[in-house]
Order: sequence, then structure tokens, then C-alpha cells
Amino acid sequence: MRRNTPLMTLLTGAVLGIALLIASMLATPAKTPTSYNAAATPTPASTAVAVQSSPAVASPVAASPASTATASATALFRADYAGRVQGDAHASVAISIHGTQAIAYACNGSVVEAWLRGTAVGGRLVMTGKNGAVLTANYDSRRAYGNVSADGITYAFSVYMVKKPSGLYRATADVRGATIKAGWIVLPDGTQVGSLESNADAAAPSATAAPPLDVAAGTAQDGSTVLHVTAISGVTGSGF
Amino acid sequence: MTAQPTTPVPLPPDRAALGAAKIVVPSLIGALVALTLGIYGRLHHPTGIAVNIAGFTSPGYVKSWLATVATVFAVVQVVSALVMYGKVPHVAAPSWIGGLHRWSGRIAFILAVPVAIHCLYALGFQNYSTRVLLHSLFGCAFFGAFTVKMLILPKRGLPGWVLPVVGALVFTLLVALWFTSAYWFFSTFGIHR
Repeated sequence: MRRNTPLMTLLTGAVLGIALLIASMLATPAKTPTSYNAAATPTPASTAVAVQSSPAVASPVAASPASTATASATALFRADYAGRVQGDAHASVAISIHGTQAIAYACNGSVVEAWLRGTAVGGRLVMTGKNGAVLTANYDSRRAYGNVSADGITYAFSVYMVKKPSGLYRATADVRGATIKAGWIVLPDGTQVGSLESNADAAAPSATAAPPLDVAAGTAQDGSTVLHVTAISGVTGSGF
Repeated sequence: MTAQPTTPVPLPPDRAALGAAKIVVPSLIGALVALTLGIYGRLHHPTGIAVNIAGFTSPGYVKSWLATVATVFAVVQVVSALVMYGKVPHVAAPSWIGGLHRWSGRIAFILAVPVAIHCLYALGFQNYSTRVLLHSLFGCAFFGAFTVKMLILPKRGLPGWVLPVVGALVFTLLVALWFTSAYWFFSTFGIHR
């Protein structure tokens, strides 16, 4: 009996590995990118584990396994994209990819806006945010293109890589018990598109136009409150 | 009735050959394990997602912490092995040292398995940077080497250096795995949950 314990250790590890592999296969959503809710069902073999979801988002984050892009070349990747969406003069989107993690912000400069988190794997972005926000896109070393839905409005976009000071900025502050969260997308021409959630902890935060961002100083003045702004950058890893 | 002259006389068991077979066969099985993992990791299209433990910022943090704890247990392995072999001056091996060695090893291995499954299923065997290529190779080699260690452990009559050498190899590979993954991850993204 004693002689076989190392073999038992090996077999236990193998069984655990196979069980996790099967659980992973069951937890992986179907190939359609819109099936992002499918990952919410925990598998029987993983009662103590759940599909990883970022605490910053309301829905589980799931990456689509479907991709014809070169997975090995782009599985780890650092990039920042920003630009206007199609068919709207103001709405813009900024996406930062740091390794397999991604942060995005979509905003029309007033009431429509969403922060999203998700994964970037194999040239495919799948991201979710509060209030049903979802972003699916393809990306490469030049641009990111796909769709983003925020506050019930779906935009198509094709945005290009940008370098700081263009890109995404975020500020959070606690004022009288409420969390203020502001986001700005600075476009390559210097235009700022930003919104401010006055109660960001709400399930469906309402937004207004953000105050102007002083990119050089890293601050913005919201009434009597000075917001200290963080640059979100996949290239530097800032904000991840 | 005498034996026919053509009947081969059974050779007396060659001790050295038997000892070698006791190492070679487990080594071949270990190599097969390493190859299987590598080929699966290379052929399976990485999904970017696998089952995971909730409550962490990202799967990278789950894996980095699991790997770190496994590496700490691996250090316990080396220390307890040194004590067992009487290599630590002025420290007599206590009766529980064998149990400590076995259980720290089992825990380290069991902690490493989910990390490896996430790597294989969600990320795959990759070669887009030196770190990632080394990590992929070390990962496959580690589970191969661990298999060898477990298979030769119950064998009697092996040369005394075999277990320490294989054990050291397993430990070295795990530490190399940790440096090319968790150490890199923590130093790149910061140490938190």
C-alpha cells in the first residue's frame, strides 16, 4: 500500500486535471460572440469555483474561442486604441489591451457611456460592463473594429492605435458618500469626449458631461471637487 | 532427456541493467507526459477562459498565487529532503519529517495542476517571447519530471543519487516556472489579489 502512494498522487493529479479540463470545456461559451451570458452557469465539477469574472463588471466576462487570427502572435499584446464610432458625431470608444486583459470606455460626451472589462485573446476582444454593456471586436497591431453597446445603443466602430496623450483617462473620487467616476477619451486630434457618473456604485449609473480634462496636470475640476486623473494604458499597464 | 543445445540459457539478472530499466521506463513515461502536454497546448486553440477561482482580479492573479504557494511548498520539499538525508548539520531527522515531505509535495503538485490546466486550455503552448517559450517548455518538462519522480519513488535498489537528482530537477523546474510566470506577473502588474 505504502509503495503505491506516489502513483496515487499522480493519478489524483491526473483526475483533477481532467476534471478541470472538462469543466473548462463546459464553461467555455459557444462560438457566437453574443452568447456572453452562457458562461454564467457554473459546471457541476466546479462547485467551489466559478467562471472568472472581473469584480468591476456586472456580467461574467467570457472570451470567444472562435478566432481565425494568429493566436500565438497576439495572445499577449499591449496596445491603446481610440476613435469615434460610426454614425455618431460625438460618441467615441477607447480600448486598452494589456496582455490578455482589456479595459474599454465608450461614451458620447453626455448620458451614454459605459466602462467595460474583458479579455483580449487571439485577436478577439470580448468585454462586458454594467447595465448590459457589451463590446465585441477584433484587434490587430493597427486597429480594433467591432461593436459596442452602451445604455441600449449599439455603435459600430473601427478605431486605430493611439499614443499618449491620446487615449483613455479615468478619475474616481468619493464625495459625500458617493463615488464619482469620470472617463475621458482623448482623440488623436486632441478632442476630449468625457462623461461623469455622479454615483458610480449604482447598478445603472446615470452620466452627465464630464468637466474639461487638463491632460498635462492630470486633473479636472468638478464643481468644488478636484478630480485626479489616471491614464489608462495597455502599453504601460497604467490603470490595470 | 537433456536440454536442446539451441535453448538459450537464461542469463543471470544483470543488476546494472535492471537498475537502468527502473530509471529508463519511468523516464520514457515522463517524456510522454511532457510531450502530450506540449502537443495539446500547441494544437488546442487557446480560449482565453477556463474555470477559475472567484474573488481575484484576474485569472493571472489566481495562477500567480497558486504558483507562489506551490513554490513555497517546494522549498519545504527541499528543506525536508535535506533533513531526511542528514545534510543539515546538527539537525536530526524528526519522525514526522517523512510525512511533511510527502504532504508538502502532494499539496504543491495539487496546487500546480489547476494552474497548468488554465495555461494549457486558456493560453496554450506559446513562443512569442523568450519568457513565454521557456515557461511553456518548463511547464511541460515539470509535469514530465514529476511523473518520473513519482514512478521511481517506490522502486528499490536504485543508486542513491537518483532520487535527489530527480527531486532537484523537479524543484528547479518549478522555481524556473515560477520565475517565468508569477514573478514576472507580480513585477509587471503589482502584488495584490
